[in-house]
Amino acid sequence: MYAFNYHRPASVAEAVKILKASSDGRCLAGGMSLIPTMKHRLSSSSDLIDLNGIKELSYIRREGDQLVIGALARHVEIADSAEVKKSIPALAALAGGVGDPQVRNRGTFCGSLCFADPAADCPAGLVGLNGTVITDKRRIAADQFFEGLYETALEKGEIVTGVSFPIPEKAGWAKFANLASRYAIVAVMVAKTGGTARVAVTGAKASVFRVAEMEAALAKNFSAAALDGIKVSSAGMNGDLHGDPDYRANLVSVMAKRAVQAS
Amino acid sequence: MYVGQPIRRREDVRFLTGRGLFVDDVQMTQPIAHAAFLRSPHAHAKIRSIKTERARGLPGVLTVLTGADWVRQGHGEADGVWPVNDRSGKPARTVNRPFICVDNVVRCVGEIVAMVVAEDRHQALDACEAIEVDYEPLPANVVTAKALDAGTPLVHPKFGTNEVLETYHGNKAVVDEAFKKAHHITKLEVPTNRVTASPIEPRAYMGHYDPLNDRYTVWTTHQAPHIVRQYFTRSLHIPEHKLRVVAPDVGGGFGMKLYHYPEEPLVLWGAIETERPVKWTGTRSECLMGDTHARDHYTVGEMAFDKGGKILAMRFKTLAAFGAYESQWQASITNAYHFTMLSLAYDIPGIFTQVKGVYTNCTPVDAYRGAGRPETVYQVERLIENGAKEMGIDPFELRQKNAIPPEKIPYTTAIGITYDSGDPPELFRKMKKLCNYEALREEQKKLRAQGICMGIGICGFFDMAGAGPVKMMNDLGAKIGCYDVASVRVHPSGKITVFAGSHSHGQSHATTWTQIAADRLGIPIEDIELVEGDTDRVPFGIGTWGSRSLSTAGVAVAVAAGRVIEKAKKLAAHMLECAPSDLVIENGQFIVKGTDKKIAFAEVSNAAYHSGDRPKGLEIGLEETAFYDPTDCTYPSAVHLCVVIVDPETGHVKLRNYWSVDDVGRVINPMVFEGQVHGGCTQGIGQALMEECAYDPSSGQYLSGTFMDYAIPHATDIPMFGVESHVTLTPSNPLGAKGGGESGTIAAPACISNGVIDALYHFGIRQITQPMTPKKIWRAIQDAKAGR
Ligand SMILES: Cc1cc2nc3c(=O)[nH]c(=O)nc-3n(C[C@H](O)[C@H](O)[C@H](O)COP(=O)(O)OP(=O)(O)OC[C@H]3O[C@@H](n4cnc5c(N)ncnc54)[C@H](O)[C@@H]3O)c2cc1C
Repeated sequence: MYAFNYHRPASVAEAVKILKASSDGRCLAGGMSLIPTMKHRLSSSSDLIDLNGIKELSYIRREGDQLVIGALARHVEIADSAEVKKSIPALAALAGGVGDPQVRNRGTFCGSLCFADPAADCPAGLVGLNGTVITDKRRIAADQFFEGLYETALEKGEIVTGVSFPIPEKAGWAKFANLASRYAIVAVMVAKTGGTARVAVTGAKASVFRVAEMEAALAKNFSAAALDGIKVSSAGMNGDLHGDPDYRANLVSVMAKRAVQAS
Repeated sequence: MYVGQPIRRREDVRFLTGRGLFVDDVQMTQPIAHAAFLRSPHAHAKIRSIKTERARGLPGVLTVLTGADWVRQGHGEADGVWPVNDRSGKPARTVNRPFICVDNVVRCVGEIVAMVVAEDRHQALDACEAIEVDYEPLPANVVTAKALDAGTPLVHPKFGTNEVLETYHGNKAVVDEAFKKAHHITKLEVPTNRVTASPIEPRAYMGHYDPLNDRYTVWTTHQAPHIVRQYFTRSLHIPEHKLRVVAPDVGGGFGMKLYHYPEEPLVLWGAIETERPVKWTGTRSECLMGDTHARDHYTVGEMAFDKGGKILAMRFKTLAAFGAYESQWQASITNAYHFTMLSLAYDIPGIFTQVKGVYTNCTPVDAYRGAGRPETVYQVERLIENGAKEMGIDPFELRQKNAIPPEKIPYTTAIGITYDSGDPPELFRKMKKLCNYEALREEQKKLRAQGICMGIGICGFFDMAGAGPVKMMNDLGAKIGCYDVASVRVHPSGKITVFAGSHSHGQSHATTWTQIAADRLGIPIEDIELVEGDTDRVPFGIGTWGSRSLSTAGVAVAVAAGRVIEKAKKLAAHMLECAPSDLVIENGQFIVKGTDKKIAFAEVSNAAYHSGDRPKGLEIGLEETAFYDPTDCTYPSAVHLCVVIVDPETGHVKLRNYWSVDDVGRVINPMVFEGQVHGGCTQGIGQALMEECAYDPSSGQYLSGTFMDYAIPHATDIPMFGVESHVTLTPSNPLGAKGGGESGTIAAPACISNGVIDALYHFGIRQITQPMTPKKIWRAIQDAKAGR
């Protein structure tokens, strides 16, 4: 780990101020992604702005037709929340399947979105459920948030304060976990709202993506059988120790069906 | 009686409450300085230059040392504890693993190029980054199967080959004859994957030099402190009487913590140079890369059967990876433990095996729980399984048909090892009942009809445990004497300290050794304490490895305690005015048989130290030491069986059931024994399904450097184990105990592999190499479906 300055602001406004004043500052939420990269000396920052002192960011609540989750809501809190289980059980299932208990006890949904790890579950949750990222200065739609490997639409000095989700009629989550990290080799979130369906895939490519052909089929008939025979191309898919592109392409089809079955 | 009882572990209070004392916890009055190591990022490279000036000038840096300094100061190397031996008459091509690169060529990723000692760890790491090394990368060889192919880069060009040694064993003529008349021959590639132990506690060392008394101390994560003390006489030329080695609480060793690793003498060197205590605690990545790796055999085998499924003979060719250098005990695998056990639990008239050790540009390979036998059982059991299927014989039945019958025991295998005790057919019978075998086969049929791929995996084996006697192990190549040592010291008040040359890093000796002593001495276990792991306190020891502690050190405890009681009886008889043979000892009392005359153990022990009224010739004091050399190795045996469900769409394997029936001889503590089976099986499950030290075949880069990529089983991957035992006593030691530390790692890989193949055989799949990861299984199914 390289040396850095540590701050623990009590409000979002104060955090934004410190972040903007720093030469190369970074927010710290659960630290489950950031700390390992710092320990491995893969990243360094002039300043760490610890968000954990900001009480206003710790919440999960229903606001009208939206489920809203604060930036400090931990995976375990989302997984166990009665409100989430009632409104979007698939989101509780997603959070309950992140990493292991230690990771879930500290890691946050929003931190995962900001980090934009290609194998993380939460990005598929955001895109599949058509959520909106709320920052200190604007709202960013799911489809505009991710811009590639570890890349998001966030600007320098911008802090995510929460994320909101419309309530789908039906949603389902299926994940095939990497045996080592327990991140997703491939995971899929499917959701149905009115006559539309969304299918968001994580783990397979540099960033989360939607599968138009599957969405069209599910819009007509939201059942696993509707996905029969729909294959996704392995072009552009990740290949590593744990799976080659063909294997991942296969898993996209398998997990999409299982997600529908789980909905 | 304490022996045989599931007594709770006496060490658990400190471990379960997080208050053990591990090397990293050791504190000193003088501030501790920290070492960091600059390691080669290349699998193979020439070093053109190393510039350390900038690093030396950084804040907190106390010294920067390189191989040139090591050579200039005349320091040495660690030769083999179990050196290689080439049976074909060629000179063995030994290159010992260097502590620090001394010849300007690095031969594997992670090899140490320089050491920084600084006030804190972060400063030491900053300084490592400031060292400038100019590397010229060279082509690397990281694929064991291809190590001897023409054109493969040479790890040590001076030999003109990557071959380290060649060895062969068995009755070749019998084998060749049997293959000629065989009814059926099964042939298979049966390689064993490269894995590493990954204990919960990473390796850690602290060195200290006290110039006032000219004394050295090393705290080390080690399984055999006395052995490593002797190796310091060769690395840093430290006189043995001036060095204290302490192996405090150690969080798992598995054989991997048995070597004089590079960092160990280097931290003491740093301490001598800086006159400060110097500590290094490995990061997980450093350990995954620098701990010895294990297995990595490329084997091709054939098995010949007669018409009824009797195994007539088998033959193998193996390339056994050494990695870039010869690690200290590597040849205990190639020259001893691997070939010796090839007959497993079966009566096989013909066995022949040829093994060639090979250098590759990878981390050195050495012993890891099972050391050689997981490979052996895998290669033989996979052939048996496929042979049975090809001949249409139930695989359980075929094994029973070939199991060594009890009337043939002691049984000498075609390799020439004699199993002294055991009853394999009974192990199979017990297993059949335990798992309800017929019902499982019925269920398998039913599920298959529904498209669910259920498989049943079976294996049976004999292990060679309890390393000793000295002569036999010397003959197999060990340069160290394989016996062990215990002292039983009775204090005047009757309380007892037992000192043992073994070392517990998970084996529960504080519980089991005191169970043994308490029974022999006839006093409560609470009055006895165990000391291990400190060369200044324990007389001597060979350490804990190879499932040997119980049948060597544990027996030494029993022998020393027996001698104490003999002597105490003489004194007690004198005090009670009877003959020693009239006395029995119960609950801390010497009682004259058939009377109510008695005297407390504590009164006798007090007299032993303080009374002038003693029998003539009886020496003062009550303390005995036993150096115990067993008469033979021990030969535990077992049958394991598992049920797997394979998901053909994803390739995922769910291990649904796992049963074992083990014959480990006398069981001292059934709970501890069960724990050993659970732990071993879990590591075997890892080997079978997910663990792999992977190298990029073209660049030689190491791909499994963190737990994000090196997969080990999680609790949720492990089924409830059904552990049973069947006891036959070994005649080779007075406890009749055989050792049960390795059964799981030895059996589980073969057992689970057989289960997975059983689940997928109907697709036409005949072999999937380990680890059988989801992607590999899925690929095998696709290939089978496409007729590839
Ligand atoms: C062993 C292990 C297994 C894991 N398995 C999974 C898994 O299966 N699935 C999965 O999805 N994830 C997994 N994770 C990652 C985990 O979910 C992390 O918690 C998450 O990715 C990051 O959240 P965090 O709160 O820990 O963020 P941090 O690590 O604190 O921060 C991550 C990044 O986001 C930035 N950031 C955080 N919060 C904000 C904010 N409010 N505004 C602006 N920037 C912010 C930080 O500056 C940093 O760059 C795993 C992690 C580990 C260590």
